[in-house]
Amino acid sequence: MMLHLLNRSPRSTATYQDVSEAFGSDDHLLLIEDACYAAQPSAGAALEPFGGRVSVLQEDLVARGLAKRVDPSVEVVDMNGFLALTETHERCVSWF
Amino acid sequence: MLNYALLLHAAPYSHQAALSALRFADTVVANGHRMKTIFFYHDGVHNASALMAPPQDEVHLADGWKRLHQEHGTELLVCVAAGLRRGLLDVSEASRHGVMSHSLEAPFELTGVGQLVDAMLTSDRMITFAP
Repeated sequence: MMLHLLNRSPRSTATYQDVSEAFGSDDHLLLIEDACYAAQPSAGAALEPFGGRVSVLQEDLVARGLAKRVDPSVEVVDMNGFLALTETHERCVSWF
Repeated sequence: MLNYALLLHAAPYSHQAALSALRFADTVVANGHRMKTIFFYHDGVHNASALMAPPQDEVHLADGWKRLHQEHGTELLVCVAAGLRRGLLDVSEASRHGVMSHSLEAPFELTGVGQLVDAMLTSDRMITFAP
């Protein structure tokens, strides 16, 4: 059970491909910084490989004016929620 | 309570990563965990500059790291090899290399990557923030 942290916009298709290949069946993905753009409904298939086990950081959404443009399949978490994900996942890998 | 270590690869103010890391560290201590070690690596060493002087109405990242050390005992470890290449030297390294001034002071410490491995082994969580 691993937490994957991703900070790249969905334009970085190769990075998203790498994450999807490393993503296990119990893993969870947290979108931070420019990866917030992948949480928009218009972002297309970028999050399809992650089976709905995806969260996005509220503070970074707000900073980008995206707070009301989040796909319903993506859970919004604040910094405390980010910390809680690191508590429940023993290992955390960052993709950038 | 968990022991957290952070690895920061990004320069201050160039990317969001340094601010993300500081915000995460503040959340760690606010929730009763221990923010044990922050390791500054690659361009992240610039976070340790004693000469940093951002505008007063902006976040002062170096002061943020120092506050974590003063209030929570967080170790602020700077990779010596990455620091020397980028002009981050403490008094003794400046003297050893014959340069006129130094740019790194306590509570930041110049250390080797062995300390990073040690932080990985002795912390419950290691979180990387990169550009």
